[in-house]
Amino acid sequence: MTKAIQAGRARIDAPCETTDSPAFPASYEAPPELRVRGIPDGKGRSIVAGASALALAACGGGGSGSGSGGSAGGTPTPAVNIRKPQSAGEAARFTLSVGIGTSPTRIAAVQSEGFAPWLDAQMKEPIAQTGLAWLQTRGYSTVDANKYYNMAGLMDRMIWNQLMTGADQVRKRAALALSEIMVVSINGITGSWRAQAMAQYWDILNARAFGNFRDLLEDITLNPAMGYFLNTKGNRKEDPRTGRVPDENYAREVMQLFTIGLYELNIDGTWKTDGSGHPIETYTNADIEGLAKVFTGYDLDFTNAGRFPNPDDPTKVVYGIEPVVEPMTADHTRFLRPPRETYHSPAEKSFLGTTIPAGTSAQETLRIALDTLFNHPNVGPFIGRQLIQRLVTSNPSNAYVARVAAAFNNNGSGVRGDLRAVFKAVWLDDEALASGNQTSVTFGKLREPILRLAQWGRTFGATSASGNWLVGDTSDVASELGQSPLRSPSVFNFFRPGYVPANSNAANASLVAPEFQIVNETTTPAYVNFMSDVINRGWGSARDVKAQYSAEIAMADDPPALVDHLDAVLTGSRLSPGNRGTILAAIQDVPIGTRNPDSDRMRRVVVGVLLTMVAPEYLVQV
Amino acid sequence: MFIGKAPELSRRAFLRRTGQLAAAGTATSYAMGLAGLGELAAFSPGNDYKALVCVFLYGGNDHYNMLVPYDPANYQRYAEIRTSIARGRSTLGATALATPDDQTLTDDLQYALAPEMPGLKALYDEGAMAPVLNVGPLIVPLTKAQYNANSASNPRPAKLFSHNDQQSTWQSFAPEGSVVGWGGRLGDLALSSNSNAIFTNISASGNAVFLAGQNSLAYQVSSKGAIAINGLGGKLYGSSVAGSALETLLTQPSNHVLARDHATIAKRSIDAQGFVNGALGGVNLATSFTPPTGISGRLAGQLNTVARLIAARNQLEVRRQVYFVGIGGFDLHDALTTRHGPLLAEIDFAMTAFYRATQEMGIADKVTAFTASDFGRTLTSNGDGSDHGWGAHHFVVGGAVNGGRYYGTAPSVSVRSDDQVGNGRLLPTTSVDELTATLGLWFGASPSDLPLIAPNIGNFARPNLGFLSL
Repeated sequence: MTKAIQAGRARIDAPCETTDSPAFPASYEAPPELRVRGIPDGKGRSIVAGASALALAACGGGGSGSGSGGSAGGTPTPAVNIRKPQSAGEAARFTLSVGIGTSPTRIAAVQSEGFAPWLDAQMKEPIAQTGLAWLQTRGYSTVDANKYYNMAGLMDRMIWNQLMTGADQVRKRAALALSEIMVVSINGITGSWRAQAMAQYWDILNARAFGNFRDLLEDITLNPAMGYFLNTKGNRKEDPRTGRVPDENYAREVMQLFTIGLYELNIDGTWKTDGSGHPIETYTNADIEGLAKVFTGYDLDFTNAGRFPNPDDPTKVVYGIEPVVEPMTADHTRFLRPPRETYHSPAEKSFLGTTIPAGTSAQETLRIALDTLFNHPNVGPFIGRQLIQRLVTSNPSNAYVARVAAAFNNNGSGVRGDLRAVFKAVWLDDEALASGNQTSVTFGKLREPILRLAQWGRTFGATSASGNWLVGDTSDVASELGQSPLRSPSVFNFFRPGYVPANSNAANASLVAPEFQIVNETTTPAYVNFMSDVINRGWGSARDVKAQYSAEIAMADDPPALVDHLDAVLTGSRLSPGNRGTILAAIQDVPIGTRNPDSDRMRRVVVGVLLTMVAPEYLVQV
Repeated sequence: MFIGKAPELSRRAFLRRTGQLAAAGTATSYAMGLAGLGELAAFSPGNDYKALVCVFLYGGNDHYNMLVPYDPANYQRYAEIRTSIARGRSTLGATALATPDDQTLTDDLQYALAPEMPGLKALYDEGAMAPVLNVGPLIVPLTKAQYNANSASNPRPAKLFSHNDQQSTWQSFAPEGSVVGWGGRLGDLALSSNSNAIFTNISASGNAVFLAGQNSLAYQVSSKGAIAINGLGGKLYGSSVAGSALETLLTQPSNHVLARDHATIAKRSIDAQGFVNGALGGVNLATSFTPPTGISGRLAGQLNTVARLIAARNQLEVRRQVYFVGIGGFDLHDALTTRHGPLLAEIDFAMTAFYRATQEMGIADKVTAFTASDFGRTLTSNGDGSDHGWGAHHFVVGGAVNGGRYYGTAPSVSVRSDDQVGNGRLLPTTSVDELTATLGLWFGASPSDLPLIAPNIGNFARPNLGFLSL
């Protein structure tokens, strides 16, 4: 069953195919919740693990950019050239591009195994614990006098636990990137069990991150949090008598933001143009109105909903979490209050050149509509470019975008939308791994604030004293990060892929710099103040989340070793000699006395950590 | 003086502006029509203070439920189309606006403000507030037939109905990715009036292209004032060496473009912070910006900061300022009837308090605030909300406003008329360029400068809508 990789074939033409069946794009361990709930994969298949170790090992060479100049069609033999980092710094930078934090162990592993084999193993890492399982484990999905069903803030505890713990950090980095493209924000949803609804959304992103885009698209479309956020939940068919029309929100944003964008694209992400040189719009308002009818008739599925006495009034009912974690349904008999007839529009639906005949079932209608979006040629370049921006560099070359889009269009085995192949194309591209990036003045991206905090937690072993991760929203611009996971102010994320900071060197160089949309004279000092407090005293209620710094404290008597270590794990050994010297001098300025030597050592560590985390070589991920 | 005005900067601004005007050309219908207006003498030393304040409503405000048809015939049309999302007519009596005797609106329309807006109703009655009707982005005046034809000679604005792009278009006349806004253009013209150029354009609501100029920057301030960095310049974790290292690391120039940009912002933040907070420290305003229970204080907090900065204008050494504030939550595809009212109450309280504060300072006629938003919304209902539209009604507020009357053309209450393009999405009859030009002329731009700040103004007959006393 294992498909051998053809040696010498250009990587993007033949992205690593690691699965037992070419038609089955992704291998991952389905989280127990998904299996138990029987969430289908969108193609009538069950979700099972698939990769074989042999395939993974053979795949390693496929990621080598060097020496892969041959053409397709050679004799299938295992590839032999395994590209490896030229230095520990290069290895560290790779681990930080594909993950959230790094460590000397991870750096050494990439150096010894090579980029692609190490990445394959990381991508194979099963979901450690879903967000939903964590909430359940902490008792937060129970109906009792605590009334957790009203506590949206439990989501922050869930997501920061997710980002800061678990061996599956590569998958989580991918899911975080997806969460900033296919945005759902808890700030825009209502109802009970908001944290659980968001956890389920997060879990879908993780479960599908290395699966197929078509399945991801269907899962997010039917997800209750999305249903609340972009108003598919409760969306009703048109009513000619009153003039009521379907809600257009999801129809518009699923096209503009989640799949195809506004203008027709070439495979390299540039605009196609008409005869007069103008870009060509992908859809009109008539397409929106047509597609809006597709997303009518859906609501929460109460079939399996638990019923509990309301803690405030036992004569009333509180429903369990099932309706917000199971897919929405168009079967109106499963609604909380079943109407007499379906709310799904029976009308003919036309959009993007597709016409769905009148009277088609809701399920078949959805299949056709999502297939239409999925098969639009824009998806590869549109999503691929944004994934590069979220993970590697704000300004990829057109050729880089084209290679990632090609991987989306065909994973090498004829499968479209294989996100495992897409992420690998993003991370293992020659442009991403080029050693010249180190000295480039434009390559890379500003590290976004939530990644900085998550990296701090992973790097220094943050743990929760209570086990409940008593942290919260970090959105405040004047005292926190001005950004918070799953709390975007709108479906447009905290920053846009096309953002150009005004009056900037980036603008002068015709570069975009998305993360700068949340950088200004308020958020910059706020970040420093927030981190200087968290690094030193811990984070959250009663400083519940604290770093251990055990490895660092052990180095505190040797400041040069300490600064080199911090440089390695935080920046990927990018500190300039001058900045290294500045930080070293500050660490050395803290004397280790005889009265409280352990406290002095800790002070040296926090000085080093904060100063490294404000250094330019840290703030910009290269 | 804090940060001296840079003569070189002003000279470059002048040169660039001259070049742009040459490029824009002068042989337009508008340029001919402007002959009678004459050059205004603003932006020269000795002029009084003026400030322009953009209040941005992110998400696309439902203008139909903010300024509601109130006369029985038009209200009935409105209620029949809007069905369950219509405001109740009985709630509107106290905030009904009297149409002046010399004005007759389309179909004899009479409007009422939403009942959550008693403050703005009072300002309308005082003559300090005016609605501008059905305004939106246009490149050229468009009929519905021209809109449908979508020809190169009568182009539509790009990316209509898209949030991010129409926000950008309102603020800068171009979709997302644009780097110069018209507030920033006005700031460019004003730079030479201000000793401290950095305080020309100030946002209390995050980064917005509106305030970005060719040369003038958008300086950010929070509702808590300017934010100081703990430990910087003093002791960080007990170490003064660490405290000074913090500043070095944050502000040193780098070769990397992004790192350099970050350092520039950090340095500006650090340099300005003490000065700004010092100036704000001397301000005493009696006007309360604390809203009554049940009304959010987000916008009031931002406008309070703006009011305090204006109160400190002499310490800041500025004569012309452009401000940006804004709140989100307006994209009400759902729950319009429950969530829109509180947003309108928030606007009403904050804008009214802000106007009262300018009265308290004795400079009400020197400060003009105006609303803007992504777009208007559909007149039709989707069940419990409305969808993305185009033209919308907006308000201008200030002592210089010729208030108590309407500007622009009232749209028919209809989903079939020629002033809408389907489901009551309004085809604008007044362009953002015209709104911008009017505000710009009041602010002190000369008529010949208008193509710089309102690039399509040459295509419209009215560079001055008349809602401000120039």
